[in-house]
Amino acid sequence: MSVFPSPRPAAGGPIIDFDPAACCLEIEGLSLAYGETPALRDLSLRVPRHRVTAFIGPSGCGKSTLLRALNRLHDLNDEVRLAGSIRLEGQDIHAPEVEVAELRRRVGMVFQAPNPFPMSIYDNVAFGLRLQGGMRKRQMDDIVEWALQSAALWDEVKERLGSSAWTLSGGQQQRLVIARTLAVRPEVLLLDEPASALDPISTLKIEELIRNLKSQLTLVLVTHNMQQAARVSDYTAFLQEGELVEYGATDTLFTNPRLSRTENYITGRMA
Amino acid sequence: MDITSDIHNRHISRQFNQELEELKTHLMAMGGLVEKQVQDAVAALLDGDSALARHVVDNDRAVNDMQIKIDGECTQVLARRQPAASDLRLVLAVIRAASDLERIGDEASKIARNAIDLIDANNGSRGFVEVRMISEHVRRMVRDALTSFARFDTELALKLVHEDEEVDNEYQAAMRSLITFMMEDARSITPVLNLMWILRSLERIGDHANNLAEYVVYLVKGLDIRHTDPDDLDEQAITRKG
Amino acid sequence: MSRFGRARLPRGEGPWPWLAAGSVALSLLMFSGLLLLLAVRGLGHFWPAPLSLVALEDGRLLAGQVVREERLPGGAGRERLYLTANRDLDGAIWSWVAVDEIAEESHPRDLVVLERTRWGSFHGRLLALEDAAGRVEGEAAWQALQERLGELEALRRERAHLRDRVVVPLVRRLERGADAALAAELGAANARIRQLQARMGGTRLLLESVDGRRLEQPLEQVLRAWRPNAMSAPRKLAAWGHGVWRFLSEGPRAANTAGGVWPAIFGTVLMVLLMSVVVTPFGVLAGIYLNEVAHQGRFTRLVRIAVRNLAGVPSIVYGVFGLGVFVYGIGGTLDEWFFADQLPSPTFGTGGLLWASLTLALLTLPVVIVATEEGLARVPDHQREGALALGATRVEMLTRVVLPMTAPAMLTGVILAVARAAGEVAPLMLVGVAKLAPQVPVDGEFPFLHLEQKFMHLGYHIYDVAFHGGDVEAALPLVYATALLLVLVILVLNLTAIFLRHHLRARHGTVPRR
Repeated sequence: MSVFPSPRPAAGGPIIDFDPAACCLEIEGLSLAYGETPALRDLSLRVPRHRVTAFIGPSGCGKSTLLRALNRLHDLNDEVRLAGSIRLEGQDIHAPEVEVAELRRRVGMVFQAPNPFPMSIYDNVAFGLRLQGGMRKRQMDDIVEWALQSAALWDEVKERLGSSAWTLSGGQQQRLVIARTLAVRPEVLLLDEPASALDPISTLKIEELIRNLKSQLTLVLVTHNMQQAARVSDYTAFLQEGELVEYGATDTLFTNPRLSRTENYITGRMA
Repeated sequence: MDITSDIHNRHISRQFNQELEELKTHLMAMGGLVEKQVQDAVAALLDGDSALARHVVDNDRAVNDMQIKIDGECTQVLARRQPAASDLRLVLAVIRAASDLERIGDEASKIARNAIDLIDANNGSRGFVEVRMISEHVRRMVRDALTSFARFDTELALKLVHEDEEVDNEYQAAMRSLITFMMEDARSITPVLNLMWILRSLERIGDHANNLAEYVVYLVKGLDIRHTDPDDLDEQAITRKG
Repeated sequence: MSRFGRARLPRGEGPWPWLAAGSVALSLLMFSGLLLLLAVRGLGHFWPAPLSLVALEDGRLLAGQVVREERLPGGAGRERLYLTANRDLDGAIWSWVAVDEIAEESHPRDLVVLERTRWGSFHGRLLALEDAAGRVEGEAAWQALQERLGELEALRRERAHLRDRVVVPLVRRLERGADAALAAELGAANARIRQLQARMGGTRLLLESVDGRRLEQPLEQVLRAWRPNAMSAPRKLAAWGHGVWRFLSEGPRAANTAGGVWPAIFGTVLMVLLMSVVVTPFGVLAGIYLNEVAHQGRFTRLVRIAVRNLAGVPSIVYGVFGLGVFVYGIGGTLDEWFFADQLPSPTFGTGGLLWASLTLALLTLPVVIVATEEGLARVPDHQREGALALGATRVEMLTRVVLPMTAPAMLTGVILAVARAAGEVAPLMLVGVAKLAPQVPVDGEFPFLHLEQKFMHLGYHIYDVAFHGGDVEAALPLVYATALLLVLVILVLNLTAIFLRHHLRARHGTVPRR
């Protein structure tokens, strides 16, 4: 697979460097601490547009923390201290004029355990649309159908849009959550271990969905299932103890990683 | 990164360590057997020992069985462990190496069969010098290939790649000499042809040893140097540590 | 023991399941026993009891309803308590009779009970009915009596309507400013009342007690007449139903020992509703603030502890607080600012509906806050994150996701508040309840809801009748009936809220199926 586009791998360096114009998210010098405990240390990486980037690493390495920083979910936690910058399409997401709610619409998130609202399937998908307000019913119906189609759920639920979302199976609920996130047309979709609570078939369906969504959005996936990262992502970043250890094309990282730390993690070796 | 030969037994799963160790061990055992086959086949020819030659032919079954066994074990590892990075490369290298070793075994068997024909026809020892020289070279290559595999030694592997060029040259020279001999004496065509098959087998064995060396480089460095001209190889990259 | 039975007995668990089941059974038993007691004693009061004619050994005759029987002090036999009425003839309405002294007891069908506006009831016989047209005797008298009573009832209603709905408001308006037209209206209304009064008078009944004493009874003082020994079961049932209805719809009479408790019902419900209207928004908003908005530091924890402690403060303390701060403090100030012309007669500077509702709202505030907080805490964080991740602001997340899920818990809090407030009596005595306030605080006169008026309350009514009434024995049945009513009112309020909560739960779900 050819590396996209015009990367400048510092000869043999472990961290791939993308052309900023091709990147959706730019993280520079990001350090984050929960109170006194550091979680991320001086992390810099670029996420390319319209590709799937995976964050892998052992428990506690900071991959979920990094993901949540991308849509400012840490704002809810008073104890979090943050340094460094995160840019979405060139704009600093922590700038004072940025409206957090709008940022979170542009950078959607899907969580580990499916968390549909206690409403009907239709209402779940339309939730974000209703927040924006001023939409006619016909238009909303169309968007709901489109979102459910994009999430590969339409055929299974089109007869019962009014029934409660909690009557769906786990895999269907997760796809519903993805549909409702898609409905607000985000630019980036963050997925925090989206299939870890699901059975293998549902997992594969979600992975297939991720592959299909690449053409519309940029996807960032956190997973502790390495085979999943290998199956689904184009680029993989390996984090350990809050640091970015290696970041490169998935094919290369899983056949011939540059650093022994990466190799040890991927092959299940003790350091 | 630096792949050393002990890297495959540091997994958290001890059983995985064991499985990979066994792969290597079985491959080495197969290599040892194959090396002996070659040695015996050549000795049978040079000493006129048809019993030994027949033994070599019969023993080829053992070589084939070993390849099947190793292939089966590799398949198991792939299916159950989904190995990645150097583990994956090791399994792939072992599969390919077993295949090449089996071919070496076949070639040794062919040498033995031709030796039997020559011995039965009682056809002198013309060309034995060349055979001896090339067979020594090639045997050494096989042994070095197996050593470099065992020790993950890319320098040694590189040496082998260049040596194969020499073997090819020696082979060409020997062929020319034998052709000249054939042209001089029409009665010698049949035995010389047998000899040429033997030389050809030896040359092939050298090629297979070359392949083994390429697999070692792939295993250690992740570089696929098959089908690359030896002059174009980036020796620095291959032999550099780390 | 059958195979089934053995399979169902908890094995190896010792006595605990039995203890648990026993406790539940005991609680249910006590509760149903209470209800049964209240129902029998209270509702039984309205059933037309048979009137016994008792002839004693010494020749005395009396007509009365059996109330109860007790052992004589000293253990020498039993004695029976009869309600003999006829306070104007006998001076007392109760008679204890030793059972041994009873020669004969019968139930003559012609014995009559009259319910009167003065001197209570009459037991005896109807001799004749006299009016301007002449005198009717015997059975015809009885028929005429029933007809006249019907007419009287209509006239009374018209008079009451005129008095309450026309005269009183007019008087109030005239107090504020003289007006010739209004004065003329008032004169006309008063004239009509006098006319009615005249029509109601003029008829007399000739009555005789069973021991021969005669009595002339003006008809306008008679409310109802019936012959309990001559009534068939369906008629008794009808009479019972009417009695219960009157209890619920009429105001009290005879110093709360007779009549109905309608003003108390109205006052209780109104006060509880007002209290709910006040406490729900404050409690819910406070709960939301503490749980969702406030920084969860030491100060917030202190506030939370304080709120929970408030729930344990004795209710009379709230009454004192209400008296001091609401009634005298705020009420007094309001009087000075807005009702100075009424002083020294206080408008808001005395107990009233508003202060009572506010005091009880304060009392139940901690309950609502705690229930709301519990409900909010039970909403999983991932629901909140899910909403935020879709681009909702904090407010939108709260209103569209969290609060609908919390609604059942908030309603529970309101239910608990209502249940507590409907039964509280002590604080009300200080801040607004009255022994007698037949005027309910809602009428047709602007501003339609009179928050400064005192009101009657079922709980206080029970207390007042049971402990401050003149004749406790006579009032006791009404106490039971009022207590039953109070329990039922609270039950209805609770059931309404529970139904609402169930409906909300069904709509929004509680915990997801996982």
